[in-house]
Amino acid sequence: MPQFSLYEEAFHPSPWHRTWAAFRESHIAIIGLFVLGMFVVFSVFAPVLSPYDPNAQNIDGLLIPPSWAMSGSISNLFGTDALGRDLFSRIMYGCRITLGSGLLMVVLAMLIGVSIGTLAGMLKGVRSSIVNHLLDALMAIPTLLIAIIIVAILGTGLVNSMWAITLALIPQFIHHTRRFVRSEAKKEYILASRLDGANKWQLFVHSILPNMTEMLVVQGTLALSIAVIDISALGFLNLGAQSSLPELGAILADGLDVAYLAPWNVALPGITIFVLVLSINVVGDGLRSALRKRMSQ
Amino acid sequence: MIRILARYSILFILTLLVLTILSFALAYLFPGDVLENLTGITPQNDMQREALMRQYRLDQNVVVQFVHYLGDLASGDWGYSFSSGLSLREEIGIAMPATIELSFYAILMALLIGIPLGYYAGIRSYSVSDKSINALSVTTYSIPVYWFALILILIFSLNLDIAPISGRISLLFDIPPVSGFILIDIMMTENIDKGLAMRDAFSHLALPTFAVGAITTASVVRLIRRSVIDVKNRPYITAARSRGLSGWRIFSQHVIRNALLPILPLMAIQITTLITNAMIVETLFSWPGIGNWLIQAIYQRDYPALRVGMLAVSTLVISLTILIDLFNRIIDPSREKYERATV
Repeated sequence: MPQFSLYEEAFHPSPWHRTWAAFRESHIAIIGLFVLGMFVVFSVFAPVLSPYDPNAQNIDGLLIPPSWAMSGSISNLFGTDALGRDLFSRIMYGCRITLGSGLLMVVLAMLIGVSIGTLAGMLKGVRSSIVNHLLDALMAIPTLLIAIIIVAILGTGLVNSMWAITLALIPQFIHHTRRFVRSEAKKEYILASRLDGANKWQLFVHSILPNMTEMLVVQGTLALSIAVIDISALGFLNLGAQSSLPELGAILADGLDVAYLAPWNVALPGITIFVLVLSINVVGDGLRSALRKRMSQ
Repeated sequence: MIRILARYSILFILTLLVLTILSFALAYLFPGDVLENLTGITPQNDMQREALMRQYRLDQNVVVQFVHYLGDLASGDWGYSFSSGLSLREEIGIAMPATIELSFYAILMALLIGIPLGYYAGIRSYSVSDKSINALSVTTYSIPVYWFALILILIFSLNLDIAPISGRISLLFDIPPVSGFILIDIMMTENIDKGLAMRDAFSHLALPTFAVGAITTASVVRLIRRSVIDVKNRPYITAARSRGLSGWRIFSQHVIRNALLPILPLMAIQITTLITNAMIVETLFSWPGIGNWLIQAIYQRDYPALRVGMLAVSTLVISLTILIDLFNRIIDPSREKYERATV
């Protein structure tokens, strides 16, 4: 037995464990995570869980009110739309498309953004100045404008609007990666590896990237909430997913035609988008404050 | 100081150049004929076509075409709209101020409500009032703006009938657009009841401004709160406290100004979101602004309008962003160039 033990505790939590412990302390964040998890389950298992085909039209059951209304029936939980399609199934598939495409866009934007951001962060002198400033200025172009231009060139469609939003998301990642790489490159542990003879690539992969993952997760949740809002906004404006595709914004735009007769066709998809974005934001906020708590310990 | 100014003007000119190149390239990228996309004029016969080709230098190489395009832009010849046949410069001259007006009031609302709330929440951090303000701002921040606008229309226009559903002003008032800003135009118009017109314009403004402003307010509250909490943990605040300064003096002399500094560049980013939101809300309220105009243009595939509209909107947003950035650099030279605060 050594005379005194350097580590009193038998269990040494890893950084991720400590973040999770701090995250767990906030009840709201846990509720948000639970709701988000529910949305993920709905999206992944939509074909199994949904009671009807989202595009199956039922002429005998047009505009049935939701089940909690007086004249509603339990066979259509959220009622039906103007073509007799089951709203609950449509919304479930809508989460699948909206959340799924959102995740896809964020991952793609992250990959591109981190690569360019790292390059920009490691460049020095005039070149970096021009790259950085131009990127800064160009990231100011509004998403909707990029989407309009891309739709004008390539035509409407979910995939084309996804390209537009991915393009709009990339600059945020570039910005944060560049800043992180710059501030990290000044630290001693990077200097130590450099003195050991590590080249730039090794520095990035073995030293900077592991430290960057947390920042990327937090930025990712932020970007995801923006992506979900934007893709549904484009669907709503008829520039993204077309109305045959059950995308939450497109479902809402469909319901707008019968908003007087059947207000639930506008209310329910809207609430779904709202709760989805809210849960993403709550989880993101929880993660950020958990990280902050861990760093300040 | 002069070096910073020079740097930012070079940046501004470079960015504008990139944008004009993009907008010129769009004429080639859009489907259809390059000549029609560039001018908006559909030639009736081959002779007119050749004359136009020569006039717009389309028979020469791309560089000459681009230089000529720059000259056209500078002299105000922006082409004609496919759908209305009117000069694009005039159409944008009417649509742009409407958007600027809407965004300006939304920003005003965000600053007037968001800054005090943010400071209050930051000072009382982790108390019940802070938590409720924070919860409210996260909730507002998560509402999709188009749905929010629909709810506002449903409640205030259809159920309560206290606000008009669309447009800028009742058609009963004949207000010629001089400056494009409705409130200024009302003041300049003769022979109308100015009080009534003003009240009408305000009731038209209220809902769209609230829809755009609420979401901007929520993000301003979040930014300020975070920044105040960060400043409160700085050593110089502890030093001030140990010297026995009162809470109010610490707040008014040390917290207020230091908390505002890191927020300015983030405000610049907010402008982009704000303009996007304003553009969406305009379509719902039939507000005759640039967003509504652009979305109508894309529905009708009005390519010349899209080409110039994109240039106009991005120039507006980028000039504002660069101005804020420049202002920030001048008042705060201590900061590193690329440093930015987080939410």
